[in-house]
Order: sequence, then structure tokens, then C-alpha cells
Amino acid sequence: MRIIFCGVGAIGSTAAVLCRNLEATLAFIDFDRVESKNLLAQAYVKPSVGKNKAEALKLQLLNLHGVKAESFGVRLTRDNVATLCGGADLLVDCFDNRESRQVLSEYARQAGKALVHGALSGDGTFGLVRWDERFVPDAEDQAGQATCEGGLHLPLIGLLGAALARIIQDFVKHGVRRDVMVNLNSVTPTMGT
Amino acid sequence: MTTLNITYDGMSADMPVELDGHVSDADVRRIAVEVVRSGGVPGIHLAHLRDDAFQNYVVDRFRGPHGADRIYLRPKVPFGA
Repeated sequence: MRIIFCGVGAIGSTAAVLCRNLEATLAFIDFDRVESKNLLAQAYVKPSVGKNKAEALKLQLLNLHGVKAESFGVRLTRDNVATLCGGADLLVDCFDNRESRQVLSEYARQAGKALVHGALSGDGTFGLVRWDERFVPDAEDQAGQATCEGGLHLPLIGLLGAALARIIQDFVKHGVRRDVMVNLNSVTPTMGT
Repeated sequence: MTTLNITYDGMSADMPVELDGHVSDADVRRIAVEVVRSGGVPGIHLAHLRDDAFQNYVVDRFRGPHGADRIYLRPKVPFGA
């Protein structure tokens, strides 16, 4: 089983770390570099600042968790999507821009690849996990709409990353494809201390 | 019977609604404002919710496994999913 995470920012890096229990090779595609501000909401550590995100996450999973991992520190485009994603058993879209999501979606449909999307609302209060067969891009309110930055949204990012990881696990083990919505009230506490 | 799920400010809840035929996305947004103001949505009671509170929200429509209609009114996730 080869799972390729496309985009390893807040959602992708969080979900990938929570997939470290799977008997799978995890591969990461991201051209971006780790910045200090990313440490608040993404699964990177201080020594990774300045490194390519895909490479940094690969090293963390290999060195800290012993997980088989690969990295591709490039931007996904129509020209390289087939080369980069051709060997995937599952594609996981965690990009932060509509164009890359579209490139991946079009490729997955043409190639018959399983693809699941994870996304977060701009205000950090809502997330979606949706399989590509039900994927329809939302219209942007304005071009280049900002995504969540900073640690304020970390709890919701954690919920979404965990939900995405569980859905990946269900697909790997049982072949099922579930969609979910993630809200701040989606975890119900039963006891407090 | 249709189930309308409304997500607002990080909270989400279901409520049953009787709809006569197809309702437009604009109608779904208008209905949602009314039911949230009236306290009809469990956990989301905002008596002074603005008329345009759901202006930029997405209306998703699904048919449940037993044929029941479900409508989700949710915030946009930037760039889609």
C-alpha cells in the first residue's frame, strides 16, 4: 500500500503523523519550506525550519517513528502529476489552493485512483473530508483567500487530521469511503476532572 | 421529511423540516436564519442573527441511505472539497 499526501501543511502533516500505524509507505509532495510560524499549527519541529516540508516530514517519520516514507519537494502540476502519483494506491489531497486540488482531481478521475480531500474553513471552525466522487470545488469569496495560520485553530486542525486519518484507515483496512464534517462540537466529553 | 443540518461558528446540529418540493439555496439560507433565531436548532440559538449570516455558505444536498433527503448548510472550505 502506497499512500501519497499531496500538500503537507496543517492538515496534511497532522493527518500523516496519525497514519504512522498503517502498514503502508507514506509519500509526501510539497514544494514549500517550513517556516517558524508553521510550528504552531503543523506537525514540524524547530530543527526542520528552513527545510522542504515533504523532506522534513519524511525524516521525522523515518527517524522518530520508523515509518517507511518518501518525499517529493516539488509543486504538483499537470505536467508531473502522472509521474508523481502514478504509483499511489490512495491519494490524499491536503492542498491549500483550488488549482492544485483540480489538477489532482482530474488526474485521479482519469487514472481511476482513489482520492480523498481534506479541507478547512478560513475561520478555522469547520472542516470537511470528502471523497473525490462527491468533490465539487467551493467558489472563492475572493481570490487567494487566506487559510488558517497560527495556533488558534490547532484544536480544529487536530480534529480534522484525526478524522482524515481514521477515514484513510477505514479505506486501507475495509475499502470503505466515508465523508465527514468536523465541527468544534464533534467530540463529546463524558467526564471531567 | 428533510433533515437540515446547520453549521455555524463551529457548532453543528440537525433539525427536521417539512419542505414542499424543491427549495432554492437562497430559501435554505433564509429558513436557516429563521430557525436559528427561533431556537429551533439544538445548541445554536442566536436571537439576533444577521439576515445575511449565511450569505456565503454552501448548500450541499444528499440522499440518505434510506431515501431521506439531507441538506447541509456549511461554511465554505477555501478552494473546495
